[in-house]
Amino acid sequence: MQQERAVSPADRFPMVVVERLVKRFGSFNALSDINLNVAKGEKIVLCGPSGSGKSTLIRCINHIEKHDSGRIVVDGIELTDRIGDINSVRCEVGMVFQSFNLFPHLSVVENCMLAPMKVRGLAQPEARDRAMVLLRKVRIQDQAKKYPAQLSGGQQQRVAIARALCMQPKIMLFDEPTSALDPEMVKEVLDTMVELAQDGMTMVCVTHEMGFAREVADRVVFMDRGSIVEEGDPSTFFRAPNTERAKAFLNQIIH
Amino acid sequence: MNSLDLSIIAQAWPYLWSGLLFSLSLTAAAFLVGMFLGTLLALVQHFELRILSPLVRSYVALMRSIPLILVLFWFFFLVPVVLGRLSGNGRPIPVGATYTAFITFGLFEAAYYSEIIRVGLRAVNKGQFEACQALALSTFDTYRHIVLPQVFRIASPIILSQTIILFQDTSLVYVLSLTDLLGAASKLAQLNGRLVEMYLAVAVVYLIISSAASQFVASLRKKYAIAGAHR
Repeated sequence: MQQERAVSPADRFPMVVVERLVKRFGSFNALSDINLNVAKGEKIVLCGPSGSGKSTLIRCINHIEKHDSGRIVVDGIELTDRIGDINSVRCEVGMVFQSFNLFPHLSVVENCMLAPMKVRGLAQPEARDRAMVLLRKVRIQDQAKKYPAQLSGGQQQRVAIARALCMQPKIMLFDEPTSALDPEMVKEVLDTMVELAQDGMTMVCVTHEMGFAREVADRVVFMDRGSIVEEGDPSTFFRAPNTERAKAFLNQIIH
Repeated sequence: MNSLDLSIIAQAWPYLWSGLLFSLSLTAAAFLVGMFLGTLLALVQHFELRILSPLVRSYVALMRSIPLILVLFWFFFLVPVVLGRLSGNGRPIPVGATYTAFITFGLFEAAYYSEIIRVGLRAVNKGQFEACQALALSTFDTYRHIVLPQVFRIASPIILSQTIILFQDTSLVYVLSLTDLLGAASKLAQLNGRLVEMYLAVAVVYLIISSAASQFVASLRKKYAIAGAHR
């Protein structure tokens, strides 16, 4: 199989190394033989049909799903079942979910303060200051005292991004962050992600937002049935995909 | 029997009031002990702790299948005997009616509250656990700050309904000759012969307190139904 490989510094400063990764759910192979390197500062967009394993892959990167074989190394630490403190890796990996998963009983600012205080050991005033800085960054500082249920979906997702950033992670994972949103709210979330990309954050995004992929991705990785079928720089991938499966997929999401 | 004499209720009120205070303090103590123990019991089952979990399940099943009045009797008559055996000299060590009541109600209610909380634990969205994992929160912090507060919130109408039942059940302590609200009324009724007035008065007090609490439960349900709709 011919793969077009974008020039990237992935092999020099790997933030995430995935080698021969296999994940099964019972007898179903969710991921088979995945190899993927993510360099520091690199932005990767994972796309593919539903059930192709893209969400499972990023959930393996912060060990929310435990892989069956192969290696995952995040920021120099290998994820294994034997690893003593998985949380030291999770501290460095922020994650944004499709369904936001904000804490409904805590206010917006409290959502952002909890983990920095409990995990990073910040004092309350510092945690509050940091939360407010990041809420301002996602332009939602005015809603800091409200509860998640009082916000729109787009606002909630921006809070979720701020909450993850409050841990000052080295890499951010996005699991279909705009799929649960009404169309008019997609842009505000994508704009926030674009800004984050421009700040130099290392990002792995599962998304079907091809405009976003074109604008920020260093590489697009196309998955199908648990394997990486094709990867390349976005302009090449979208204009002239190599594989029939990618062509079929792109036709479907464009129409 | 003479016609209804409501003035007798006013005379009896101070004594009834002291009975009511006992009922309320027994309710409050059983609520606090029951909720604390019940939460622990629910967590043991939720985490499926080896050895402990089946023990807890049997305890809860046992408590839920015998009438409270029987548990009170057992505790009152059997525990002194057991304590006596354990202490070695074989003579029963009386626990006392008041202690019996407080301990029994706490232990009994713990079984009921634990079932409510156990169901509540399963109702917390899976995404909440994943968000905690992604934020590197420890299991302790996850349950302390995220999961349990939501469980208490989800389950609060059922917890309060159970507490209203508990309040009414405190009247069973009359079998231990304790003077709760109902006990006070029945003792007075025996003295002054005004059975109708006395039992009418306490019925009204039970009615007012229980229905006020039920109203509160209904308003809670409404509030969380609205909050849930926005989610």
